[in-house]
This record gives sequence, structure tokens and C-alpha cells, in this order.
Amino acid sequence: MTLLQHALVVLLLPLVSATIIALFLRRAGNWAAGISVLAATAIAAIALILALHGGRFESSWEWLRLGEFSLSLGIKFDDLAALMLVIVGIVGLCVHVFSLGYMHDDAAKARFFGGLSIFMFSMIGIVFADNLFMMFIFWELVGFSSWLLINHWHEKKSAADASKKAFIVNRVGDFGFLLGIIACYYAFGTVNLTELATRVEGGAVVASSIPLLLFCGAVGKSAQLPLQVWLPDAMEGPTPVSALIHAATMVAAGIYMLCRINVLMVPEALTVIMWVGTATALYAALCAIVQSDIKKVLAYSTLSQLGYMVAAFGLGSLATKHEMGATTHEMLIATGVGAAMFHLTTHAFFKALMFLGSGSVIHGCHHEQDIFKMGGLRTRMPLTFWTFTIGVAAIMGMPFLAGFFSKDAILYLAMTKSTPVFIVLAFTAILTAFYMVRLWKITFLGTPRTHEADHAHEGGFTLTMPLIVLAVLSLVGGYTAYYPKVFTQVFELIPEAHDSAHTVILITSLTVMIVGAVSAFFLYQCSPNDTLAQKAPGLFNALGALRNSFDVAYDYYVAKIQQRFAMLLNFLEQIFLAGLIVRGFSGVVGLFGMGARALHVGKLSVYLYWFFGGVVILWLFVTGVF
Amino acid sequence: MSNLPFDPLLAAIVTPLALALAIALGLPKRWSVLLSYVAFAIPALMALHVWWYFGDAAKDHGYAFITEYSTGLDASGIQLKLGLNGIALPLFVLAGLVGLAAGLYAIQSGAERLKIYLMLLLIMQGGLMGVFASIDVFFFYFFHELALIPTFIMVGVWGGRDRGYAAMKMTIYLTLGAMLSLIGLIALYVKSGANSFDLISLRQALTAQPIVATLQNNIFALLMFGFGILVSLWPLHTWAPLGYGAAPSSNAMLHAGVLKKFGLYGLIQIALPLLPAGSLHWSGPLAWLAVIGNVLVVGFITMAQRDLKQLVGYSSVMHMGYAFLGIAAGTTLGIGGVVLMMVAHGFSVALLFLLSTSIYHRTHTFSMDEMGGLAQKTPVLAAFFVAATFASIGLPGFGNFWGELTIFVALWQFSPLITALAVAGVVISAIYGLRSAANVFFGPASDQLAGVTARHPPTDLAWSEKVPALILLGALLFMGFWPKSISVPLNAALGESVRAVQQTAAK
Amino acid sequence: MITPTLNAYLVLSGLLFSIGFFGVLIRKNTLVIFMGLELMLVASTLALVAFSRYNGTMDGNVFVFFILTVAAAEVAVGLAIIVALFRKRQTIQVDQLDGLKN
Repeated sequence: MTLLQHALVVLLLPLVSATIIALFLRRAGNWAAGISVLAATAIAAIALILALHGGRFESSWEWLRLGEFSLSLGIKFDDLAALMLVIVGIVGLCVHVFSLGYMHDDAAKARFFGGLSIFMFSMIGIVFADNLFMMFIFWELVGFSSWLLINHWHEKKSAADASKKAFIVNRVGDFGFLLGIIACYYAFGTVNLTELATRVEGGAVVASSIPLLLFCGAVGKSAQLPLQVWLPDAMEGPTPVSALIHAATMVAAGIYMLCRINVLMVPEALTVIMWVGTATALYAALCAIVQSDIKKVLAYSTLSQLGYMVAAFGLGSLATKHEMGATTHEMLIATGVGAAMFHLTTHAFFKALMFLGSGSVIHGCHHEQDIFKMGGLRTRMPLTFWTFTIGVAAIMGMPFLAGFFSKDAILYLAMTKSTPVFIVLAFTAILTAFYMVRLWKITFLGTPRTHEADHAHEGGFTLTMPLIVLAVLSLVGGYTAYYPKVFTQVFELIPEAHDSAHTVILITSLTVMIVGAVSAFFLYQCSPNDTLAQKAPGLFNALGALRNSFDVAYDYYVAKIQQRFAMLLNFLEQIFLAGLIVRGFSGVVGLFGMGARALHVGKLSVYLYWFFGGVVILWLFVTGVF
Repeated sequence: MSNLPFDPLLAAIVTPLALALAIALGLPKRWSVLLSYVAFAIPALMALHVWWYFGDAAKDHGYAFITEYSTGLDASGIQLKLGLNGIALPLFVLAGLVGLAAGLYAIQSGAERLKIYLMLLLIMQGGLMGVFASIDVFFFYFFHELALIPTFIMVGVWGGRDRGYAAMKMTIYLTLGAMLSLIGLIALYVKSGANSFDLISLRQALTAQPIVATLQNNIFALLMFGFGILVSLWPLHTWAPLGYGAAPSSNAMLHAGVLKKFGLYGLIQIALPLLPAGSLHWSGPLAWLAVIGNVLVVGFITMAQRDLKQLVGYSSVMHMGYAFLGIAAGTTLGIGGVVLMMVAHGFSVALLFLLSTSIYHRTHTFSMDEMGGLAQKTPVLAAFFVAATFASIGLPGFGNFWGELTIFVALWQFSPLITALAVAGVVISAIYGLRSAANVFFGPASDQLAGVTARHPPTDLAWSEKVPALILLGALLFMGFWPKSISVPLNAALGESVRAVQQTAAK
Repeated sequence: MITPTLNAYLVLSGLLFSIGFFGVLIRKNTLVIFMGLELMLVASTLALVAFSRYNGTMDGNVFVFFILTVAAAEVAVGLAIIVALFRKRQTIQVDQLDGLKN
């Protein structure tokens, strides 16, 4: 098989799996799970083969032509796509295997695994997409799979609402994305990524509206401010789904998309992107501090880390304003891509690890998600504890773990490009260490606080194996120098600090980590109550209010403005259009009818007079009196 | 090349009409029902047959399978001339398949006076096949009226709530619309000087000698508003939700799915190529009317609906807005998008009406406030409904997506502002679509529904409902995955009909 | 001998027609109305004969033959209807025969 055929197999395998499950295996949950996991295994294997082989290619097929407009589906497999594909493949396989254990007793297992397969298909489609229309197609499809999987326990109202919210909020982002794609099509005459790069390098001018509109898509999918509201709610879905879709891959698609279109970026747009990312990072980290649901903490942490990536992308080329010159321009954008993709990679590993760890905890504690009802799990679930600890250490930026390298790259970029962003991101790093240690300590240390926690137990092989794999990846994921030399196009772009800057960054990152971790470790007690809420209720409530502010505002908008506006229009339609105007017209016609009926007396002699009158009028008409 | 010993187009038209006649003459009920399967299947099979052989068939002016039958009115230029071009072909297939689904659903529906019900539906089906197979404008109009009349009767007799008022309102609106467009068509006939209703001759005559611009504007206005009423152009749309809400399901499927497309088809096939200057003159007002009225205002109104069938009705009005926008754009891409949209919308709205009725049989209400949690009892029904909902809100993988996407892309050239407003409609449709699915199927069951299901335990979708639903869903998916199946024949036909508009625009 | 001119015939015919017409308009009795109708018919036959004579052709006379024949039939049918009507409604006054309304 050629490489292209390999790629096609990777893309179509999950679709085939989903189709088989939907058509034949609706009631055969175990078979469905088997097929889905088999497909995921094959995907991971072929993804590795494709990436490691080193061959890179592009190919496309025209899918729809109307007049001069042509829409193609194609595969652009470069190092960036290869890296993303490997992440999706490996994390996907881990999550599939984990789901075997986690969803073992679920009533709708077939639907769940079918949904996972659909998701894999859509996500790989995004990875391979060689043009923006194709990316949009799969962009929508991941939105659908996300809806399907969040809504897995659809009998719960909260799950139904969360899935609806996720899809609609994403659609708001897609509104801008689609307009951006269309604008791009007319500006450059193509949406093919490679051709776009050629055009821009050939000197085509990019209006700042195009990258900003395209960025809207990333704001929705990667849950940046102000569309971040759907991601915490999406935790209503089963935990493996949260790990795969809402932590490692789908939400990272926004970052991936930005990296794909980096040639279209202009300084104004990048400034906006940088600040949106920075604000999201800080906001979400603040929210994470007051969460008591283990998955919600991780969700806000994901938001915060996505903010980091977006900020990193935005930072990458900001300096073009200061350091003029066409060549530096290119270089600097690319550093953003390197830093963002690097963090995306490490984050995918350690965040998936932590989500699956939380899944293991939830599974062990019989679906208890409140960390204040846990405690003491260190001894009862040692393997989960140790792998989770690795994840926590990695996200905090513990030296020599994955997160350390990628976070330092971002901080270094920030330091050289924008001091305010650097300060905010460094502060966010303190917060990250703070809420992570809080979560870790309250969940695992101390003594069990409830019956469930006391009887917690480690899950089976399928639950622990993925944890170990991901823990190993979180340990070594940062050493890009030792990666196979197949992702060089991406990794050579990672900014590296040298000499004094290196020292500054190292000191900063160690300081923020230690400050955050130590203060959390000593502040929080292993008690059933939130220590912060007791010691500083004002601050606690303020953070809670901050967290809720967006939801409150949106709920107000939806219920009080949008719905009322809809009701008003409906009222006007029923009353005025269907009522007054249409019935009014019919009334006028009816009046004529009544007038005409009055003439209709039923007497022959009267009719004769009418007839006579008619003859007279006709005669007058003929003789030309009228 | 078609290798049937008879004319497939005529067979598709005549078979249902012949059975209708036989039923009228007193065919026993058992035979009526049995033969109905055949009479609904034959148009669908013929449609698939011509679709399969269309690419290789000999063509004259883009039309394949041309046959002419004398009517005795040849002196006035009226002939039964059948044939399909790339625009008519997908709609012919749409009519065949939706007709089959509606027919199958009607046969199992157990409606009262089933024989008469089937007879009317068969007349409708024959008329619909005729509309899209006619090259002759007179018969194009005649078949439309033939299909329309059973609608009134079916709404009036078998309808649900408000059926009397709904039937009356529909009759008046649709007659008015048909009358306006008839005046426009007659004006075209007279002014062309071709002394023929044959679309090909009309086109040749008017290409050689176009009508003066002011007269074109007037005739186009007649056609636009006349056909517009039939397609529920805002603010002349209020008959649609009411009528569909009251109509029995099979009738609503055929009417909303297929018959409504007559107006758009007329605009594309007749008005645009014959009146290019008129269409350019009116494109601005039409686009604004469609985007503000049909897409945004009706979109918001749809959000406020609490009745499932009304919601589907309003959403159909909203989607027609996109079709008008594509026509306003007036390019090959825009018009092609409209055809894709028409076909996909035909399948999806028919599916939604079918499923709404199936839901009603299980909940005994259309009010969404009194539903909820039905997915726990009827997962297959839920899956179908969710698929239909996602299709209608334009998820890739279903045909509707291609229609919307191409219309949006085409519209940008016309006006980026209108495009932005139209794309906002995509968010609106996601809101009401998902809300309706959630209200009906997800979350805990409402108290009323719990009561109803306790008394009548709901069964999941039966095969007699599943088969028509599968036909429609399969068509949607096929279109979604393989849009070329429609776009390839479409391109050739559109080149010819849009050329006139573009040449006029260039001047 | 005074030969009557065409005008005289036409005046007589017009008079007869007017009498008949006003009879139809004013009288309420169906029988009388019917007689008025017949009178109008006869007036027109008179005019036809006069024209025929004046022109020296037979056209008018032929018309008159047809009219007379049809009138005879019409009288038979008309009277029968009136009789039937009287049997059913016990009246032949037109102002009471308002069954066309409602």
C-alpha cells in the first residue's frame, strides 16, 4: 500500500466501524466495543507508521463542482499533521481501552463506542484536511460527535442541556469561521492551505478581518473567552469522552487550525489572539480554584491551558511590529506555531492522563465526583495516585517532565515579546500549581471521608494500562530532541531560551511552581469543607461569581432577550400578519360579499330591473357616453 | 441509454393516475391497497432508472428522454412534451422517492376511508411526477394544479386541528399564487411570439429577441410573487405552517417536500433564463425580503413554537429563504445550491413530518411542553429524528449542508452583509432544532407524557414506519456523501440557464 | 288607398314591445308576465315581417316561422311550469316566489 492508501485507511476505518455499529450492532454492545477498539488500535498503529516513515504527501479529489466553484476533499500530510495524527491515535487508543472498563456496564454501550468511532473519523478528517472547506466539514462533524457523546446519558436533563449548549455555542463560533472561509475564498481564489501559503508568500495582502473571522472558529472549538461556557458543562459526558474530546484532541483542534492558517496571520489579528488566549488562561485558572467537582477542576484547567496555547500562537509573531523585515516576519509567526503545538502535544498526554485518572477515581468511588467526599485514595488506589501525581507534576511544570519544557517555551516567548502577557501567564502558572495541588491533596491524601472513598478500589487492567502509557508519555514527552526526526518541521520552530534568558525563565518557572504548589499544600486541609471558603469566604464567593458571570449573562440573554424577542415576533406574526392583515383582507372581501348579497333578493321582477339597468349601462357604454 | 420498451416518464405519471381512476371506478379496497404499492413504487423506480441512465442519454438542448404526445391543441402550441434536463432530473427523483415514502406511510396509516385517501394521494403523485417531467409550460402548470387540488381536500377532510380554516386559507393563498404566476406565464407566451408553450422554443425565441426590460421587470414580478406565495416567501407565508400543521402526514410530506418546490423550480427553469433583466432588477429586493423575512424573522418565530408540527412548518419556511437567496445571487453556484437545497430539504422535511406523526402516535400530543424523555422508550425513533434534525440544520454528511454552503459562498459575491445575516440563520436553526430534539426525546419525561405512556406503552418505530424513513434518510446521506450525483448533470443544465442572466449582468 | 309605410309597422311593433316589456316589469302575476313576454315576441315577429316585405326578401318570413314554432313550444312548457308552480306553492305572484334567495 502506498502512504496515501494508508492515510485513507486511517480516515475511513473509524467511519466503517461507526457504520457497522449503527446498522448491525445496536444491541450488541460488546461486539460494538470490540470493533471500535480494534479500529482505534489500527488507527494508532497506522498513524505511527505514517509518521515514522517520514514520507509527506498531498493529494486531493474534487468533490463538488458548480460553475467555477470547486470544493475538494484532500489530504495534506506534513509534519504538523503527522504530529497531530499521532496524538489523536495514541490518546484515542488509550481512551478506547479505558472505555472498555469504564463503560463496561453501560446500557447504551454500542452508541457510546459508535460515537467514539464517529469522533475519530471527524477528528482525523480535521487533521488531514488540505483546505478550509474540508476542515469546516469535519469541524462540524466533531461538533456533532461531541454533542452525541456529551448527551450519552440523555435521560439526565443536565446532560441534554450541556450537549445542546456545546453545539450551539460552537455554532456561534462557526458562524465567524464560515464567513472567514468564504472571505478567504474570494480574497485569494482558493482555500487550499498550500496554495494559500504560495499566494501569501507571493505578496498577496491579507485583510485583518480574514484571520480574525477564522479565529472565531477556534474561539468556539477551543473554548476561548467569551465562548468558553460550554466546556465546563460538557463534563456531563462520560469521563473517557472528556479525556479524549474535551481535553486532548477536539478542543485542541482550534489551535491546530490556527497553526494551519498561520500564513494568513497579520499583526493586528495576532494581538487580539494573544490577548484572548491570555485572558482565557487567567480567567479559567481563577475559576478552577473554587471547583469541587473533580472533572470541573480539570475542565477549567484545560481551558486555562488552551488559553496558554492560543496566547503562545498569538505571541509568536507579535514582534513583527518591533522587529521589521520580511524574513523575521515569517520566522516569528512560526515560533508561535512551534510553542503552541509543543504545548498541545504535552498537554494532550498529561491532561488525558489526569482525566482518565479522574475517571478511575470516579469509577473506584462509585460515581462520586465531589473531591470533598473523597480523600485517602493514595493507599486505596496507588496506581491511579502515582500516575495522577505525574500528571499534576507535569502540568505544574515540574522540571524534566513534559509540561516543564513546553510551558517554558511559552513563557520565554512571552518574556521576549510582551511583558504584560508574561506577567499574566506567570501568575496563571502560580494558580495552575495552586489548584492542581489542591485537587491532588484533597482527593488522594488524608483519610477517606465517605463510605465510597473508603471502599474505593483500583479498576481492572483496561483502566490502569492506559494510565501507565500516558504517564510514561507525560514523563518523556518534553524531550523533543530525542523524538524521531520526523516532526522537525514543527519542533525546530520551538523557541529556546539561551544564556541569561534561559536562567531567567528557569528561575521564574521554578518560583511560580513552588509558590503555587507550596501555598496550596499548606493552605488546604484534608477536610470535607473547602478551606478557602472558610478562611476567606469573600474571595471564595467572588471567584464563584466570576465563574458564573458568563453563564448568568448568557442565560439572561437567552431567556430574557432572545426568547422574548422570538415570542414577540411570533405574537406579531399571529396577531398582525396572520390575524389583522390576512383576516382584515378577508374581512374587506367579506364586506363586498355582504354588499353583493344584499342585491340578491330572489325576486324575479327585481332581477328584471337589474337586467334592464345593465342593458341601459351597456347601451350607454356602446354609444360612448362613458 | 434507457432501454425500456416504454417511455419511463410517461409511465411514472400515468401509473398513479390510472390506479386513482380505477379506485374512483370502484376497485375493491383490498386490491386498491395492494396495487397502491405498485403505483407508488413505479414512479420511484422510473425516477431511479432515468437518473442512472441520464449521463449517457441522447440530449437535445440539455433535455434527455424527450417524447411528445399530441393533445389536439397543437395549434395553440400546447403539447404534452416530456423530458428531463439536469435541473429537472434531481427533482424528478425527489418526487419519486418522497412519493414512495409518503405512499408507504399512507398505506400503513390506517386512515379513515383509506381508499379515497390513497386515490387523492395517487393523483397528487401523478401530478408531481408530471410537473418536473414537463417541458411544456402549459402542462407544467396543469400538473401542478392537478397535484394541488387533492391537497385542499385532504387537509379539509383528513386534517387535524383547524382543518377547515387551514384548508380555506391554503386554497385562497395557493390559488392566488398560482393565478399570478399563470398571468406571468401567459404574458411570456404572448410576448415571446413563439406561439408555443414549449420551454425550448420559448427559450430560443426569447434569446434571439429578448423582451424589453421594463416589461421583463413586470413579468418577473408576477412570477416572483406568484411562485413566491407557493414557496412561502415572507410575508406571504402564513398559510404554510398552518396548512402543514393541519395536513395529514403523507400529504404534508408530499406538499412540503415536493410540491412546494414547484415555485422555485419555475423561477429557475422559466423565469431566470427567459427574463434575465427582470431577475437582475428584482434580485436586491428578493434577497432582502428573504434574509430579513424568511431567514431571520421566521427563524426567531420558529424558536418560539411549542407545537412540533408548527415548528417543522416554520423551519421549512425559513429554509425556503435560503433558496430565494440563492436565486437572488443568480450565479451557477447560487442556482446550483438552490437545486441541492431543494432536493435535500424535500427529503429532510418529509422525514421530519413523517417522524412528527410517528411521535404523535406515541405521545398523543404535538405540544413539546408535554413531551420529554421519549428516547428512553423509543431509541430508534429518537435516532431517526435526531438525524433528520441535524440534516435540516445543515450538518455535513447530509445533503442540506451542500445546499447551504454553496448558497452562502455564492451570496458573498452578491453582498457580504446579506451573507453574514444568512449565516446567522445557521445558529438560529441549530437552536430550535436541538431544542426540539431535546424537548421531545431527552431529559426526564414530563408528567403528562408519563401518564400517556402508562396508558399506552409506546413501541419503537415499526418496520412500516421505518422503511419510508429509511428511504428518505438514505437519500439524504447519499446526497451528503456524494454530491456529484446531482452536481454533474446540474452543471450542464445550469450553464445554459444562467448564461442569459450573466450576459445581461455583464451589459 | 293608404299604403301603410314601414314606419307605421315599426311604430306599432315598438308599441306592442313596450306594452309587453312594461307588463313584464310591472305586473306581479306570472301569467300576465308570461303574456307580456309573448307580446314582446309577437312585436318582434311583426317587425321581421315588415322588414321582409320592405326588403322584398323571404329572410324575415323564415325567421317568423321558426319563432312561431318555438314560441308555441315555449308557451306549452311555460304554462306547464306555471301550473306546476301553482300546485306546489299555491301562488303565482312573483313577489312571493323568492325561492332563489337562500
